[in-house]
Amino acid sequence: MDHPFYLWMSYGATALALAAEIVALRVGRARARRAVEAERGLEEQD
Amino acid sequence: MNFYFFASPATFFRLAGAMAPMFFVLAAVSGAIGLYLGLAVAPTDAQQGEVYRVIFIHVPAAWMSMFIYLVMACYGAMTLAFNTRLAAMMARALAPTGAMFTFVALWTGAFWGRPTWGTYWVWDARLTSELVLFFLYGGFIALANAFEDPRRGDRAAALLALIGIVNLPIIYFSVQWWNTLHQGSSVSFKGTSMHVTMLWSMLLMAFSFWMYSAGAALVRCRTLILDRERRTRWVRALS
Repeated sequence: MDHPFYLWMSYGATALALAAEIVALRVGRARARRAVEAERGLEEQD
Repeated sequence: MNFYFFASPATFFRLAGAMAPMFFVLAAVSGAIGLYLGLAVAPTDAQQGEVYRVIFIHVPAAWMSMFIYLVMACYGAMTLAFNTRLAAMMARALAPTGAMFTFVALWTGAFWGRPTWGTYWVWDARLTSELVLFFLYGGFIALANAFEDPRRGDRAAALLALIGIVNLPIIYFSVQWWNTLHQGSSVSFKGTSMHVTMLWSMLLMAFSFWMYSAGAALVRCRTLILDRERRTRWVRALS
């Protein structure tokens, strides 16, 4: 049985899934902050 | 100080910001120790060889997939009963992490099943009900975002989360109720048949995933709060 293949596919996919979620969290947070900044800019214009 | 003090998005935003890094540090430390014990210290399994080491992520991920759904459904019940904004946002914040752990449980299960059972997938009661859980998470996320008014999305998704909770006992007891290919639990409240190093590695990894989930949910909830409350004075006053 090719054990390293199954172990790498399991641990590698888990690491990728975690990394993808962390990137998505950071992107979402940056987008929300930009929206707040835009709102603040509109307020200053008024 | 009462319950509603912490239910205020403004209070929770600051509290979550202080707590999230703590959860991530705990997740990293317990995960590193758990991986070291699981991959370097735990003995080779007499029957399965080295491939059994997949359980150190498969089992904790499967536990988290069910636990997160349970917590999400509790927040859903709070949303419907008390109409609290924060409960709805926490339910939304938990769903992607729950879906991710369900995917990890299914994926790692497939890569454990191939060398031990001879197949990546079988329409076994445990595997099928876990797949249904993945679809429930997907349905929750889709339904929550399907409405222009986010509060309507909150309520619809909360209802789906509550209906879907019936799947949790099916997943848990499937190995007892039906004759399945998936083996029964190696760990229960009555004890375990596992080697002590294997058990500690699995428990540490479960703790790590739990802490990660808490941290990720808090960060995502802060993002949701910023997004929904961006027109309020307290958000504009944030530096």
